[in-house]
Amino acid sequence: MQHVLVIGAGTMGTVHASSYAKMENVELAGIVDIRKQIGGPLAAKLNTNYFTSFEEAVTQLPRIDVIDVCLPTYLHKKYVLKAADLGKHVICEKPLARTKEDAKEMISYCKEKGVKLFVGHVLRFFPEYVKAKEIIDKNEIGKPAMARTTRGGIFPTAWNDWYADYKNSGGLVLDMIIHDIDFLRWCFGDVKRVYAKSVLGRSFNRIDYALLTLRFENGMIAHVEGTWAHEGFSTYLEIAGDNGIIEFDSKKEKSIYAQIRQKENGGGVAVPSSPLKENPYYQELAHFMECIENDCEPIVSAEDAFKAVEISLAALESIETGKVVEIKPSLTHA
Amino acid sequence: MKLGIISFAHMHAYSYARALQDLDGVELCGISDENEARGREAAAKFGVTYFADYNALLSEDIDAVIVTSENVNHHKHVLAAAKAGKHVLCEKPLGTTLEEMKEMVNVCRENGVKLQTAFPVRFNTSIQQGKKIIEEGKLGRIIAMKGTNRGTNPGGWFVIKSLSGGGAVMDHTVHVVDIMRWFMNAEVTEVYAEAGQFFSDQIDDCGLLTMEFDNGVFATLDCSWSRNKAYPTWGDVTLEVIGTEGTIFIDAFGQKLNVYSDSSGANWHYWGDDMDAGLVKDFIECIKEDREPSITGEDGLKAVEVALAAYKAAEQKSPVKLTILK
Repeated sequence: MQHVLVIGAGTMGTVHASSYAKMENVELAGIVDIRKQIGGPLAAKLNTNYFTSFEEAVTQLPRIDVIDVCLPTYLHKKYVLKAADLGKHVICEKPLARTKEDAKEMISYCKEKGVKLFVGHVLRFFPEYVKAKEIIDKNEIGKPAMARTTRGGIFPTAWNDWYADYKNSGGLVLDMIIHDIDFLRWCFGDVKRVYAKSVLGRSFNRIDYALLTLRFENGMIAHVEGTWAHEGFSTYLEIAGDNGIIEFDSKKEKSIYAQIRQKENGGGVAVPSSPLKENPYYQELAHFMECIENDCEPIVSAEDAFKAVEISLAALESIETGKVVEIKPSLTHA
Repeated sequence: MKLGIISFAHMHAYSYARALQDLDGVELCGISDENEARGREAAAKFGVTYFADYNALLSEDIDAVIVTSENVNHHKHVLAAAKAGKHVLCEKPLGTTLEEMKEMVNVCRENGVKLQTAFPVRFNTSIQQGKKIIEEGKLGRIIAMKGTNRGTNPGGWFVIKSLSGGGAVMDHTVHVVDIMRWFMNAEVTEVYAEAGQFFSDQIDDCGLLTMEFDNGVFATLDCSWSRNKAYPTWGDVTLEVIGTEGTIFIDAFGQKLNVYSDSSGANWHYWGDDMDAGLVKDFIECIKEDREPSITGEDGLKAVEVALAAYKAAEQKSPVKLTILK
């Protein structure tokens, strides 16, 4: 039985805490958030303890095995290091860090302290993406040549509007399409070079949009689109091989389409969805718990998370310099 | 009005010929083709005279020709037509080198004939609707565009560089680049591209371009021949436009029936308006009204310039700035 403390009660903290609360062999020990009006009700709803600070939680709770860091990106390092200092295993939301140096330090620090570090690259637990990888691995589409991914929707609003602060969030390239970057690396191996464009430096308020070109070591080419310029969240995945094509468009692949008639104001709003019994976040966290219980390697390692940060930052460098950025192998397993 | 067609090397010749025959007051008079069997067959199909020598066709009493030969032959065919005083609708890509295309534009101007580049996508009704939405300012200021023009490896002369001038990047860059230029009235200033050969060992069959425009807009374009045999259609033309006030997504061939046949498999059948007919009709009208073609030789040249820059960028692995602007 693992006792988990969740730090941060924002969107991701809420999803993580709710998942732990449902797990039979996991104890949600508590939730930390500096915002009483947000952390308090969530803790009450999930029948767990609420704390206004990390220090308060770790001194008051009798037992913590795992600390799950669901904070804005620029705060990840501080709290991952604090957790490691206490000898607790760490789960950290993606992206692992805002810089490569921080990411590297977090990985080696956790190793030194003998604690496991897991990073929430949850796309590896989304069934449509898992299935796509299975199909590629079974050689059903032949040798992959071109991949296209899309991810995005409206500009995210969160605590202190931290997403809008590029210095803190890295914008959508580091925060969001890092999911697709990690997925593509999982399927096709390491990336050789990156070229990218985005609205960064073109001064549009609360719109972010980026188009990346990745060339992989194996020769294949990927187009990665990230958008905080659309309405409604959606994702797209296409992989063309020399013997077939995989296509997935979340806007089209809906399994239930509800349209509730409104008594007043005329028409109702259509709500399409694609429900699953266990959401991918639950699957991801259950997998991390299992890795702790059984001392085994996770589907996505901290080194994978580092590489995803490295590629995302290379894209940001390309956006800023207008140049092609080569990725050189830089993380050696200590 | 009387027209001829020079070469049926490009399959679009067939739909252009049909479009000509559907127009009132327009007569398709002759077909020339260096490939005699193909030329005779086409001439028989459309019930017109076959000319082994295109100069013989050009000496007939015709007003204009459509040039649908292999890419590298556009130059000689357009020049011969211009010198014979015939207006020309030339298949895309207009040419394979900048020098040749400049000469084509100049010789047509000197001889007082119209040169129109065949970019039929401008006559796709959904594309036209998209342009209208942009011009009405509904998207605010345009920020970025994302296009695709994928296809199936056409084989034949398309994959022989000495006839086509290039593979997928040459074949499928120009349509959507032309639409981007047309939508924004802006020019490409810089191009980067990754290109590769994945589906055959003959010629480039995959390409992904990134472009900067002189109005501060950036765009990407996937021009790959990446549609396989089992895919329900030959390819696509799509364009996403991101603006400060909204976005539009155009799937130019999205008007389709999904057909599942035990004999022919899964297929998408397009039922939208015929853009090739729109192109040919416009060409005829521009001659009748004696106006500037709606898609000029310069438009054709500028689109090919982007494709040529893409090859250079892919080879040197760094972006290429375009120098001849406006």
